[in-house]
Amino acid sequence: MRKRNKLMYLSVGYIVILGVAALAAPMIAPHNPIAQNLEERFSPSNKAHLLGTDNFGRDILSRVIYGSRSALLVGIVAVSIAVLIGSVVGLIAGLATRTIDNFLMLLMDSLLSFPTILLAITVVSFLGYGLIQVMLAIGVIFSPVFARLVRAETLAIKTESYVEASRALGTPIVKTVYKHIIPNLLGKVIVQCSITFALTVVIEASLSYLGLGTQPPNPSWGLMLKDARNYLVQAPWMAIYPGMVLAFTVLSFNILGDALSEKLNPKL
Amino acid sequence: MNRFFKITCCLALAFFLIGGLMGAHGIAQAKALNFALSGNPDTLDPHKTSGTLTFQTIKSIYDTLAEPDMSGKIVPALARKWEVSDDALSWTFYLRKGVVFHNGDKLTSKDVKATLERIKDKATASPKAKEFAAISAIETPDDFTVVLKLKEPRSPLLASLASGWGAILPKGLIDNGHDFATNPVGTGPFKLKEWVRDSRIVMVKNNNYWLSGLPKLDQVVMHIIPERAVQVQGLISGQIDVSYIVDQDDIPLLQASPDVQIEESLSALILVMSINCSHPVLNDIRVRQALNYAIDKQKVLNVAYGGGKPIGTFMDYGNAYYKDFTQLYPYNPEKAKNLLAEAGVGKDTIFELFLPQNYELHVKAGEMYQAMLTEVGLNVKIKLVDWSTWISDVYRGAKYDLTVIGHTGKLDPDGTLGGYGTKGRYVKWINPRAAELIKEAKTVSGFDNRKKLYDEVLKLMAEEVPFMFLGSSYRHVAYRTSVADFRMTPKLDTFDFRWTTLK
Repeated sequence: MRKRNKLMYLSVGYIVILGVAALAAPMIAPHNPIAQNLEERFSPSNKAHLLGTDNFGRDILSRVIYGSRSALLVGIVAVSIAVLIGSVVGLIAGLATRTIDNFLMLLMDSLLSFPTILLAITVVSFLGYGLIQVMLAIGVIFSPVFARLVRAETLAIKTESYVEASRALGTPIVKTVYKHIIPNLLGKVIVQCSITFALTVVIEASLSYLGLGTQPPNPSWGLMLKDARNYLVQAPWMAIYPGMVLAFTVLSFNILGDALSEKLNPKL
Repeated sequence: MNRFFKITCCLALAFFLIGGLMGAHGIAQAKALNFALSGNPDTLDPHKTSGTLTFQTIKSIYDTLAEPDMSGKIVPALARKWEVSDDALSWTFYLRKGVVFHNGDKLTSKDVKATLERIKDKATASPKAKEFAAISAIETPDDFTVVLKLKEPRSPLLASLASGWGAILPKGLIDNGHDFATNPVGTGPFKLKEWVRDSRIVMVKNNNYWLSGLPKLDQVVMHIIPERAVQVQGLISGQIDVSYIVDQDDIPLLQASPDVQIEESLSALILVMSINCSHPVLNDIRVRQALNYAIDKQKVLNVAYGGGKPIGTFMDYGNAYYKDFTQLYPYNPEKAKNLLAEAGVGKDTIFELFLPQNYELHVKAGEMYQAMLTEVGLNVKIKLVDWSTWISDVYRGAKYDLTVIGHTGKLDPDGTLGGYGTKGRYVKWINPRAAELIKEAKTVSGFDNRKKLYDEVLKLMAEEVPFMFLGSSYRHVAYRTSVADFRMTPKLDTFDFRWTTLK
């Protein structure tokens, strides 16, 4: 148990640092992340450039810091969209008649049946490349996960005796949802958010790696990895640092999700 | 943490190495050359594509009536000589005797006639059919003589006949509707043995090749390896003998290997940032001039394209028709700023710079352009697009402000300049004088006569700058020291393995 807690605190600490870095990027980044300095291409880490420079002489530390902005922004917006769509659909499906339930779930299941990345690529090529499109795409893609979760929980909660009692007393449905169902759902949704967040960070990086997400010269971890691909031997630091930050971010959100799941949904 | 880092690194490394080795796995045989090809050709049918990779590959499988030699001069190939009548309306080709197709058919004038008819046939839908449109009739007085009758004089025709898209196919198979796309049959130095898509193309020696003693290799294995880094590793480890897309940044690494040699030569590329002249702001010549002043051309060439020679006009540096106009718009950011101020263009005008994302070098250059243009006070947004979108929206639809591309070299200057000056070309640069000169030069014969006309066209383009003219880049071909005489045809950039030997 102790070790688990330690890990959780570590990952929370990491996420907090990441969040602060993203918010305060202009203040803490030592250089302009898109300023090219062609005289200093491929310099390994030194005093001026702690993590070295890339193929245009841009400071990697600054790019990693600014890159956290697009990663976190995409995570937050996409997860919010997914939660919003998913919860509404899930609640309606859980409470409405069987026909509506079946119809909505069929819709959600068909979304789930596509491989995530493939669906993301399809949506992005339909809407055009860019960060906003990526957020929308990821949000839509992950909404079925929340819809299923919320529906299942709603179905369970609505048959609880206290809910039935409250309904029998004439509480309007909206108030029941607000007072009884949502508070009971919250724990599971929050855990799912944390895990989904990790996934969105990976997908954002993947789409940017494929050139469909963040547009150059704006920094994004995926884009940095894409640039680094050709210089793995000459300048491995170009890939290692953004790769590490990306890996730790995903790991942290997953650990946080596990820990929260234990705390919020204690099993008997 | 340290351990985690190590494991991550090892995993990543292992992943890339395994990927590389799998791609480069070949059968080590006595005289088999392992060649790294950067992508899959779309088809091996010479008349149904305009893809460079196809023409680079099929150079070894098919032959043309004439071909460019290493100096770019057009010399006899399947035709041993040709004559052009005084009115330039009748071209007579005398075919080489004893040439045999891979399927055993003997080459005769009927094959040439059937081939040209296939290209001109609407059903073939050859993207290059226009180049042969001037041919009104094909006569075959005997088995080894072909006479082409033209509607009007057309000097660029010889270059078309010497390019990959003029490849001669056997009449028998054409009549059968044979599928040349996957099962090519020609007279070339090698025969296709197998083509495993996205993996390899294997070609074996044609023992009946018409140039005696050639080819010297028994087999050429083209490994399809899109990742440059993997090609480089393959060269160093010896799994690959030749790679033709070496980047400037790979050179130190390759030089450190005693088994690898690098050859630098000037490519026939015309590297540009194209400007949409129909854009209300870019229509102002001062803005276009400012774009030309704002770019440090040599620096972009060095960093993005691996070095090269700046050009000041729309012709590749090594071309006989090239004329130097580089002094017209040297790198001068101050002048650019003044011109932009004069034209009243500032941060509030947003230009979209379209970059074809599959061409890494153009994307790299685009990022540099954006930085340099921001420096002089312009607001440029990069938009990455995939290749098919680039072709349809930018190149065909002219729905763009700025874009970065390299125009491939052509054997005849009309291939490069044809159509410019009219709204038919994607830069939408309208200049009736230039259009008229280009049209006239098509019907004039003789280098000096044509050069006079093209000189004026190039001057007009250099002055009115429908492009930001960057330059022609160096091409770095790296090969193992055991390889000798690997050639790349000038202008067409096709691979020529005929003289290549392996120790």
